[in-house]
Amino acid sequence: MTEEPYRWLEAVANRREYVREQLKRGSPAFAASLPDGILLLAVGGGQSKVFELFDRHALAGLGHPADIEKIRQAAIDAAHTESFTRAPEDVSLRRLVSFGLSPQLKTNFEQIFTAPFLVELLLAEIGNAPEKDLLLRLHFDGGFRFQAGGVMVAASQPEPEAAAQAWLNGSLAGKTDRREVADVLLQAWWCLVENKPFGEGLPEEAQRQAGWRASSSERVVELGWLARNSPRHARYEPLSLAQAGL
Amino acid sequence: MNPGTLIAGDFMSLLATHKLAPVPIVPASTAPVQTQATTVFAFEFAEGVLMAGDRRATAGNVIVTDRVDKVIEIDATSLLAIAGVPATAFEMARVLQTSFEYYRRSQLQPLSLPAKVRALARLLRENLPMTMQGVGVVAPLFAGLDQTVSPAKPQIYFYDPLGAQFQSVDYVASGSGSGTIRSVLSFQEQYGSPRPSQMKLGEAVKFALRLLMVASEFDSATGGVNPATQTYATIKLLRSSGVESITDQQQSGFLKI
Repeated sequence: MTEEPYRWLEAVANRREYVREQLKRGSPAFAASLPDGILLLAVGGGQSKVFELFDRHALAGLGHPADIEKIRQAAIDAAHTESFTRAPEDVSLRRLVSFGLSPQLKTNFEQIFTAPFLVELLLAEIGNAPEKDLLLRLHFDGGFRFQAGGVMVAASQPEPEAAAQAWLNGSLAGKTDRREVADVLLQAWWCLVENKPFGEGLPEEAQRQAGWRASSSERVVELGWLARNSPRHARYEPLSLAQAGL
Repeated sequence: MNPGTLIAGDFMSLLATHKLAPVPIVPASTAPVQTQATTVFAFEFAEGVLMAGDRRATAGNVIVTDRVDKVIEIDATSLLAIAGVPATAFEMARVLQTSFEYYRRSQLQPLSLPAKVRALARLLRENLPMTMQGVGVVAPLFAGLDQTVSPAKPQIYFYDPLGAQFQSVDYVASGSGSGTIRSVLSFQEQYGSPRPSQMKLGEAVKFALRLLMVASEFDSATGGVNPATQTYATIKLLRSSGVESITDQQQSGFLKI
């Protein structure tokens, strides 16, 4: 198959379709940069979806738990080895992804005789100021996109993700309160999992709030907080809904 | 250890896969002048454990610096006080810091207190050749939280340079100036009022600073505490809620009480 370019291209396209199909029911994840820190949010069925990676770094994602685990371990191994051989300040999301995770994911995706990673991921790095925050969207094929601050969505399908991203960019503009932001992210989560439109026909806010509360009642809402100003090196702490004021 | 074997959550085996030795053993025909000498100690006070150390490093009769932090926060629930050769001791602290955090993050649970205590013993044992040559002796103190009881209870451990670990009762001291303050601690524990274990925070910090002043009277290798020159100690607390640092400003305030 690999000696015929057309069949190789077809095989890669089939893999892309296969991965998207497998991820279809995945629950979206979010990251938002705020004045006091970065909030990561995901809703799962018991398996963890939001993780601490290193002192200033965290990950949230959707996909197969075993694949998320492999990526998480690879990132933690690389970050701690880098920190030990150089310094904690040298661990950067840009290097971690550009030279570590992304090439591995791409190689794996294009090796058509091995199982692809079923993941869609968000990574975050807290900076000294909100404009120094780095959010990163990493796809199952190794493709990635950096963004300084703001909000970022990881969903299983590109179109709804883009719609949610556009809506959140507008809805969160000027919002700095962590509770308020978490509430809006959960509204976006509910709209995504219930296939509600983000444009015309978007349910009213009260309906969206009632919606996320009802839909998440049987699931686990995971919140991770990377604190900007902390006396400790490790900035990450898991939050409960109550701690977030919800 | 087989360089290809990776034990889940074990940072040392991760380093071994990269052929990175955390505390490299480099035998030498002649020993360099070592930077060393210290007074570090820990005692139980009413709110947990107080660990303190002077800030002087010496090489022979030369004072290298008076700004060394010998009490190190290893993670949110562990403290290490180093006595001995700083080059080895600081490297041990760095190995422990990375190992404990690596385990917690990768295994999604904190390392138990007995495992933390043994991790330091293992590093000391691996340093045995340097200890036997007399150029890398380290005799540290360790404090960690026993999380099997509620509320979590701070515990103090001390080691001999070969890696034997001992749990301390009430207080412990290490370094060249430790003999002096062990006598004071013993006296205060038996006949003092309040005893160190009954002291409130302000009293405990003041007592710790005075202990270092006394140690520096009898040991030239121990840096003292001198408010006039803004020279204070490194003091950290371990309560059931975790580690806390006492700043120079706070120390200055407590000394005036």
